Order: sequence, then C-alpha cells, then structure tokens
Amino acid sequence: MPQSDTAPFAALSADTSAPPPEPPHAHDIPGEPGVWVFVLGDMMIFGLFFAVFTYYRGLDVELFTTAQATLNQDYGALNTLILLFSSWFVVMGVIDVRERGGRLAPPLFALGFLCGAAFVVVKFFEYREKLQAGIGITTNDFFMYYYIFTGLHLIHVLIGMGVLVVLWHLARAGVGRPQDVRLIESGAIFWHMVDLLWIVLFPLLYLIK
Amino acid sequence: MNVKTQIACVWCGLLFVVLLTLGWIVIAGLVPLPSPALGADELAAFYRENTGRIRFGTLIAMFSMSLTIPWIAVIAVQMRRTEGEFPVLTYTQLVAGAVTVAILTVPTLMWTTVAFRPERDPQLILLMSDFSWLMFIMTFPPFFVQLVAIGAAIIGDKATRPVFPRWVGYFNVWVAILFLPGGLVTFFKSGPFAWNGLLAFWMPVTVFFLWYVVMFKALLTAIRQTPRQA
Repeated sequence: MPQSDTAPFAALSADTSAPPPEPPHAHDIPGEPGVWVFVLGDMMIFGLFFAVFTYYRGLDVELFTTAQATLNQDYGALNTLILLFSSWFVVMGVIDVRERGGRLAPPLFALGFLCGAAFVVVKFFEYREKLQAGIGITTNDFFMYYYIFTGLHLIHVLIGMGVLVVLWHLARAGVGRPQDVRLIESGAIFWHMVDLLWIVLFPLLYLIK
Repeated sequence: MNVKTQIACVWCGLLFVVLLTLGWIVIAGLVPLPSPALGADELAAFYRENTGRIRFGTLIAMFSMSLTIPWIAVIAVQMRRTEGEFPVLTYTQLVAGAVTVAILTVPTLMWTTVAFRPERDPQLILLMSDFSWLMFIMTFPPFFVQLVAIGAAIIGDKATRPVFPRWVGYFNVWVAILFLPGGLVTFFKSGPFAWNGLLAFWMPVTVFFLWYVVMFKALLTAIRQTPRQA
C-alpha cells in the first residue's frame, strides 16, 4: 500500500490536465478565466510553502527523516486514492454536463463530495493518532510543517466540498445556459487543484527520502 | 453624480499605502519586525534607541490608517451596484473594513506607548511589544471577511456588463486565503510562521500592498463606467 504513489500520478495527469477539447462547447480554456487567477495564485503560494519546507529540511535532514518515519503512510496513501477517485467522479460529471445533458452529473458530484467527506474522516483519525501520541504543532519543525500544510490543505478540501454542493445544485436544476457549464467547469477546476496540491503534499511530507 | 468625490476616496487608499510605508517602515523603522525570540533587555534597547523615530513614525502611521475610511466607503458604493435590493455583502464589507481600521490603530498606539516612556521595566516593554505584534498580525479575520465579501459580490454579479472584472473577485478570495497563516503566530517564536517570518508576515504584507494596487485600478475603472443618471 504505502509506496504505490506512481500509479496515482499517471491517473492524475489524465484527470487534471485540461479535459480534452470538445467541439460542442469549445472555448479557449475550461471554466472562466478568473478562476485560473485564483488557481495559479494558490499554487504559487503552495509552491513557496514547498520551497520553504525543502530549504529547512536541507538544514536538518536527520530530524526531518526521523520525524517523517513516524507518519502513518497508509492514511496518506488512502487519502491520495480517495482524492483521485473524487477527481475522476467530478471530471465524469463535467463531461456528462457538456456532452450528455448532465442527467448523471448530480450523483457523480455527490460521489465526489462523499470522497471529500471520507478524506476529512481519514484526516481526523490521522491527526488523532498523532495528538494521542503527544505530537503537536510545536513538537519540532517537521511537525510544524506537517500540521500547517495539511491543515491549510484540509481547509481547501472543506471549501471544495462546499463548491461541490453548489455544482450538485446547478446540475440538478438542469444546465441550459453556457454560463452554467462554465460555472460547473470552474468549480471542477478548483476541486482538481485541491487534488493536485495533495498529490504534491503527500510525497513531500510522507515519502521523500 | 459625484464622480470626483469618489475618485478622491480611491486616492485616499493609495495615500494610505504611501503614508503607512513612510511612517511605519521608513521613519519608525519597525520593519523588519523585532524578532519574537528577542529577550526583554534586547527588545527594550531596540525601543530605547529609536524613541524619536517611533514617536514620529507612529504619528504618521496613525493618520494614514484613517485614510482607509473613505477607501472602504468607495468600495462599498461600487459594490452596492453589484448587489440587488438587499446589499448584505456591501454592509459586511463596510463593517469589516471599519473594524480593521479600528484594530490597526491599537498596536500603533502600543508602539508609541513603549516609546513614550522607554525607561520602563523591560519586562513591561516585552509584554506591550508581544501584545502589539500579536494584535497586528493575528487579527486578520475581519480583513479576511472583508475580502471574501468583496470577492463574493464580484463573482455573484450577474450583469452582462459587470461592475468589476470577474478575476478581481477571485483575486480577493486568493488574498484572503493568503492571510490565514497569520493566525499561527501564537505558536512560534522563530521560523517562517513566526510574526516576523516569511509566510506569516512577508508574504501577506506584500500581497496586502498588491491588493491596494489592484483595487485602485479596478475602482477607478468601475467609477468611470458607472451609468450616468440620478
């Protein structure tokens, strides 16, 4: 289970790289341009986070590796799978909206939401395990980054779940206008970003040697 | 229509940025922030050696903060156009903005309080200094709410010719999220999440100034494009 992150990577590139160009509703980029301002900005910030982490890790590799060894990789890997599945459900929903009138989209978005909820539950047990072992945010530098990065990511997951609820409502109301399709695409892009951030976070915190 | 008054309010926002930089950074010399890891004696020495600068700088910084009042008002006026009959987000922005101004003046007063009687017991200076910096950085939530309200109003604008470009709405939400690490300063005395750290201070403060530039431009455009009637 633990070291199986290569396969998800392959699956991810199929999920998050822009959905294949569709002639029916073709426009230059999926979603509305504004949402990319947010997504690229947010990824820039996480990029900065990761650079800071790598820098401080370089100053004390031993502490970081020892602390990393106490992480439960099973929880991390499980959550990676959960998010990849959620992205798959969401992208299927978007394709359904764009090409088949969106009848299947509401249940697909609901499944994506449930995956998000499952992620939160797994995270709860993971945090509980650490806190019960007396490991907190001030234990050492590694756990400072661990709690802050995964915590900020968790906030993104919660916001994303809210977004998926909106998508579910939109899809249920029936998608007639092109703006609705764009809005659904924009929400899906946000969810894929949440997934992508975790795909970077997981190897960085749990696996890097 | 009071176009000129509105434009003057927008310029108040830019003037705030200039005077804050001048007072707080250039004259008072409070940036880079004194490290939370400093001991009471070192910290007291820092304030003692810069008494005159801090007194004069905080006076200017204090004045600059009130210039955000017209700035918040003009944001509200333009936001009002994005909402329908019940402009809740506009009111939220107005109140949150007012609260932010009120909060920011308090740490400024604390820095000047320390400089007012620099011969005070270093332990008291340490307490006042801790309080001022924690208040300055950790009280981001009203600003967070203000930004999210602006973002939500812009993204929710259904008009065919929206008041603000939609990306400005997403930009506001992005800035809001960037301020979240500020909440962590209570845990750390060094490193990137301490109150003088890269991610809790330098990143948000840079984006804070960037936000003024973006909103300055967006507001001037919105005012120019306001339909002329009434």
